[in-house]
Amino acid sequence: MTVVEKELGPEMVVCKDVNKWYGDFHVLKGIDVTVREGEVIVILGPSGSGKSTFIRCINRLEEHQQGQIVVDGTELTHDIRNIQEIRREVGMVFQQFNLFPHLTVIDNVTLAPINVRKWSREKAEEVAMRWLDRVGIPEQAQKYPGQLSGGQQQRVAIARALAMEPKILLFDEPTSALDPEMIKEVLDVMRDLAKQGYTIMAVTHEMGFAQSVADRILFFDEGKIVEENTPANFFTNPKEERTKLFLSQILNH
Amino acid sequence: MESNSGISNIFAKLFDIRVLGVIAQIVGAIVVALTVSWFVGNVAGNLESLGEAQFICEDGTVAYRCAYDFMDSAAQFDVAETSFGMSYDNSDSYWRAIGVAAVNTIRVTIIGCILTTILGTLVGIARLSKNWLVANVSKWYVDLFRNTPLVLQLVFIYFSFFLALPSIKEAAENSNYVFLSNRGINYPSLVPTESFRVLAIFIGLGLILAYAIWLVLGRREERLGGTTNRAIWAPVSLLLFAVVGWFVANASAAGNQVMLVNNASGITGLDNVSQVVADRFGVEIADLGGIQAQVDAGDIDQKTFKDGRLNVCAARGSLEAANIDSELRALAIPYSISRVKDADKAFQDYAAGKCDVLAAEQGFINEMSATLEDATSFSIVGIPERPLRLSLAKLEGLNFAGGGKMTPEFAAILIGLVLNTGASVGEIVRAGIQAVSKGQTEAARAIGLSEGQRLRLVVLPQALRVIIPPLTSSYLNLAKNSTLAQIVAFPDFWTVIFTTINQSGRAMQGMLLTMLFYLTLSLIISAFLNWYNQRVKLVER
Repeated sequence: MTVVEKELGPEMVVCKDVNKWYGDFHVLKGIDVTVREGEVIVILGPSGSGKSTFIRCINRLEEHQQGQIVVDGTELTHDIRNIQEIRREVGMVFQQFNLFPHLTVIDNVTLAPINVRKWSREKAEEVAMRWLDRVGIPEQAQKYPGQLSGGQQQRVAIARALAMEPKILLFDEPTSALDPEMIKEVLDVMRDLAKQGYTIMAVTHEMGFAQSVADRILFFDEGKIVEENTPANFFTNPKEERTKLFLSQILNH
Repeated sequence: MESNSGISNIFAKLFDIRVLGVIAQIVGAIVVALTVSWFVGNVAGNLESLGEAQFICEDGTVAYRCAYDFMDSAAQFDVAETSFGMSYDNSDSYWRAIGVAAVNTIRVTIIGCILTTILGTLVGIARLSKNWLVANVSKWYVDLFRNTPLVLQLVFIYFSFFLALPSIKEAAENSNYVFLSNRGINYPSLVPTESFRVLAIFIGLGLILAYAIWLVLGRREERLGGTTNRAIWAPVSLLLFAVVGWFVANASAAGNQVMLVNNASGITGLDNVSQVVADRFGVEIADLGGIQAQVDAGDIDQKTFKDGRLNVCAARGSLEAANIDSELRALAIPYSISRVKDADKAFQDYAAGKCDVLAAEQGFINEMSATLEDATSFSIVGIPERPLRLSLAKLEGLNFAGGGKMTPEFAAILIGLVLNTGASVGEIVRAGIQAVSKGQTEAARAIGLSEGQRLRLVVLPQALRVIIPPLTSSYLNLAKNSTLAQIVAFPDFWTVIFTTINQSGRAMQGMLLTMLFYLTLSLIISAFLNWYNQRVKLVER
């Protein structure tokens, strides 16, 4: 079943029977997922299916109430040291960018390396410039986020996440708040990262991206993983009725 | 037809926004000019009707510039309270009275703003707490104090709380260190003696060094990365300097402090005071601690007790009184310090045989002891001096001596202003924190910042921009609302001006001074906060 083309490393994220409730509402119903190093996972599903909540549980922006999440060998518990340890190794890119508006682009990118990794400013800035270069906006380093376009801001956010040299990258609908013509520039950066062998978990609605980049697709509905499949099979030969319905709705509009 | 179109042309022009703008400007200017001329006319008219009586100069001529000459004459009313030990009595001039009152207002304002900031910050954070009790108690507090008049709050705090407290005597029986009575709050204080200057120099040097270490290590962190534990090294170096300074100051203090001892008492120094007192009561030194209990039980009568204990004469509020008080307290013997209004009076009491020991400045003792007839009747003995002495409030006669004191009037206006303004500042702080979006917190957490770093580096810099401008208004409100001190009889600037106006009949002069004073005060506060606001804003752009 698992037609894996690339050589995969050790387990990076292991989720076992993860459950979460908002009050009485059961958002995540026993999620089991294992992500290996270098794997690119795309999470699809209708809105309200719990896919964003799940991805946000991995770095404890949301708390799971039952089950086990192990990231790079560290279990996510209530121990603040574990949480900090995991957050250092997991980078995240948000739908709304969430750049720090009071800091310049370069300061946004160097903030965590200087204060968390305790790098010298010189080293942090050097690394930051390298990443800004990589995402294609080195000339914007001294500007403030408010002076950039949405696509540029999202690329800064990606550079900010990468500057911490994370082992895993989480993308939470990174292109949903962007104008159509800016979506491509962000997807190109993500595609590039995937090629470089980054471990990526991305929630997105970009079917083209999912089809061409993902190693595996997780399809969420009503808090459960309804289908787990390779992109080729997922789009052309889905196993589940729910998946077919979903695909017919998004592909026929 | 043509003229008709001309008129409609002009009429149409009236709706041109550029023309409308010019018209609005002209109307505005006319209104301002009319208002100003009305004010000027009003003042001129009032001056006219006041007649010449208020403007007579010393040489008998009449001129407006002499309007404030009356301020040089004696005020002849009391100002119940002064700040920072400023002296005032009713033979001082009106200027002096108003100056003392101005300092009172400034004291209330500064302490009030500081306490308001602390309270408001705590309340603002508490209102956002997930703890139901904390969030709701702070919400009720804010609602209560924002929705009732400040006057009512002041009246309640002053009359229903402070004036309803127990009498001094009851307060003294019920507690040991802090006394809440209907005469105010008495609390322990630290008194710096002469040698404190040496300690202060060391602490100052320590602060400079600590700051330098902080900067140098900070720069090192930036350059080389890693952590240098500067948060530990800087305070340690300060502490080191303070400890060394303490010993140096003690050494430098040798011989600063002396007491004049009546030889007949048999005292030769602090080392045999305990023995002398024990002999007087006919007990062992170890049993001296029990004397007070025996007096309370009636086994020793008051007269024997008063004669037997060590009696000291000193000037009220003097360093020497605080110093010897500390030394005697450490000996744990029955003693009494009779604090009189000045050193001269203390010396007279000593000469009249009212006490065993006189504590006063060395120079004063040398000079005055020479006037004593019998040169063999006394000796001058050194007492150890410490740079800082703890002074405890203690009931002596009908009042507390030693320690610090806050009058009920000052406490009432201060607490009233702080509680009232604190409620609005709490809302401002809450708004400021809420203005920083949840996404900022999530992003800060996601890149691995600790909670402290998140607040310091991400939330605060953004919240402060929102907080500072309305905070300025709150501070200004506090400063101006301090005029309500009149209600609780605290002699602030307005209260004293009011008395001055009543007594001298110079209403206009008083009003002008009041406007000038509060305008200056407000401008200084705004200028300070604007400067701070600029600094905070610079971080942004």
